[in-house]
Amino acid sequence: MRKLRILLADDHSVMRSGLRALLERQTNLEVIGEADNGRDAVSLSSSLSPDVVVMDVAMPLLNGIEATKSILKQSPSTSIVMLSMHSDESYVMRSLNAGARGYLLKDSAAAELLSALDAVSQGKSFFSSAVRRLLAEDYIRVLRQKGIVDSYDLLTAREREILQLLAEGKTNKEVAADLNISPYTVETHRAHILEKLGLHTPAELILYAVRKGIIH
Amino acid sequence: MLFGFCALLALMALLAFDSVHALNELESSSSAVRQDYLKRERTLRDIRFSLYESGNLLREYSLAKPDTSARESYLKQLHDLRDRAHDSLESCLRSLPRDQNSAFQNLGNELASYWLLADRIFLVDPTEANSLSLRDLALSQRASVLTLTGEVSELNELDFRQAEAQISRVFAKTRHRIRVVAISAFSLGLLLAASTIVYLVRLERHAREKYEETLRSQHELKELSKRLVDAQEQERRAISRELHDQVGQSLTALLMDLQNLSDTPAPASSLASGLQRIKLLAEECVNEVRNMALLLRPSMLDDLGLIAALEWQGREVSKRTGLVVDVIDDKFADDLPEDHRTCVYRVVQEALHNCVKHAHARRVRVVVQEQDQHLILSIEDDGIGFDPRRHRGMGFLGMHERVSRLGGHLIVDSLPGRGTRLRVELPLSASPVPQGVPS
Repeated sequence: MRKLRILLADDHSVMRSGLRALLERQTNLEVIGEADNGRDAVSLSSSLSPDVVVMDVAMPLLNGIEATKSILKQSPSTSIVMLSMHSDESYVMRSLNAGARGYLLKDSAAAELLSALDAVSQGKSFFSSAVRRLLAEDYIRVLRQKGIVDSYDLLTAREREILQLLAEGKTNKEVAADLNISPYTVETHRAHILEKLGLHTPAELILYAVRKGIIH
Repeated sequence: MLFGFCALLALMALLAFDSVHALNELESSSSAVRQDYLKRERTLRDIRFSLYESGNLLREYSLAKPDTSARESYLKQLHDLRDRAHDSLESCLRSLPRDQNSAFQNLGNELASYWLLADRIFLVDPTEANSLSLRDLALSQRASVLTLTGEVSELNELDFRQAEAQISRVFAKTRHRIRVVAISAFSLGLLLAASTIVYLVRLERHAREKYEETLRSQHELKELSKRLVDAQEQERRAISRELHDQVGQSLTALLMDLQNLSDTPAPASSLASGLQRIKLLAEECVNEVRNMALLLRPSMLDDLGLIAALEWQGREVSKRTGLVVDVIDDKFADDLPEDHRTCVYRVVQEALHNCVKHAHARRVRVVVQEQDQHLILSIEDDGIGFDPRRHRGMGFLGMHERVSRLGGHLIVDSLPGRGTRLRVELPLSASPVPQGVPS
């Protein structure tokens, strides 16, 4: 089996060496490079073509979010796992908008990094459990404070099913294959879901799913 | 100065009074002299007239050879003439000072002897022999009296000239005095004006210096408060960075090592539980450090931009207090300079603090937009409101300070019971913000 090739990007050497120590004990993956700023992360990923980049959000010269955008512009198939000190949705939302698949809190990296790498390498999303919990709590609180009815109830059973699959990171084609329907039908469902939930982008859809606890 | 002005005014008043007084005096004395002269001339004229008339009477009488009754009438006419001349002379003598009336007294004596002679002519018959010699005597007396009146008249005229000369001398003296007083008043005025001007110029310079000093100290104060705000912000950021990047990351790395340790196969159970405790402690530390760092200065402000930081702040306040915060950005590029980001962030922070603490608001709307090279921030709450003219706390001062040092305006619009609306306009042009302009 081919090993998963990983690039580490973090401006703290202590953090990088900790991550490296964690990963090197695994047999099914290898760390192919380290970068200590966003610009190096972009150039290294273009020269080394890693499968996954583990990217610190806050880095000098170019921050992780901008670096993610640049890397995905060059090679859209690269998976990016954001590494962050912040569980706040501003960071999560912007990371997702930039195209990151996973969002990992640094203090739970030791426990969750392997699961995250596993998920994103399969094309799925991954969020630290603390992030999922916080986003869900925030969502419920906001609904309560603003007195808004949860629009999730408006979705049909099929739509909920499709929402979950899409939120897990699957493409229209993959969802169609799973459910044995045409990709066009999936696209129609997708449009309905976005409209009913008042969402606009794939990133918002994923965030919504996280808030609702639909994906893990 | 005041004394000088008083003196000048007094001098001018004195000048005016003195001139009027002197002119009055001159006028009255010159008219008195003229009156005197005319009166004397009139007297002399009366005397001459009486003399001529009496001469005519004498001639008529000597030619007419009158009877007793006619003589009586002649006598009566003569006496009338005499009385008239006498009265005139008397009144003249009365009005003359004693030392000047000798000529007139002399004239009066001569005149009296003439009247006596004339009387005697009418007492004798004109045909009598001695009448002729009497008449000659009388006529010669009359001629001498006439001569005397001529002399007196000359004397009178001489007097008049002397008096006039005296008057013109007095007039010249008065004129001289007026000139001296006027010149000295003018010089005093000139002196006063000059010293007043010098004094005013000095006063003005002094005032200008004071004004500039005030401006300077105002400017320094502004500069100081700007530096204070800057220093505070830098300090916060430095501590926040330090906490977040150094302490936080080290703790995170520690956590990771702990995880690595506990992942080693089959550790002793006491070691495993010890590791677990240390891990929990380290996690707690990480959370505390992160919260402290965020409170000092949210990293989103630097990592993600203003809107993300405002949204985070809104959520935090919302979580903590239940206040519903809507952050709305409208046509906003979120590429503000560092100073502007911090300014808006801190203003919103203060405003939200006020909403919770003073306004007891339930909902607040924070809108950020860009309009004509200006950043417009508006914060509207549904709280109890207040009277902005009466309540202005340190918080408002701080906001004001932050906004005005970027050349912006802060408008507080509120009424008790009507909520509060805060509007901030910050210029976004590339031109440097003018500093130290007195407002």
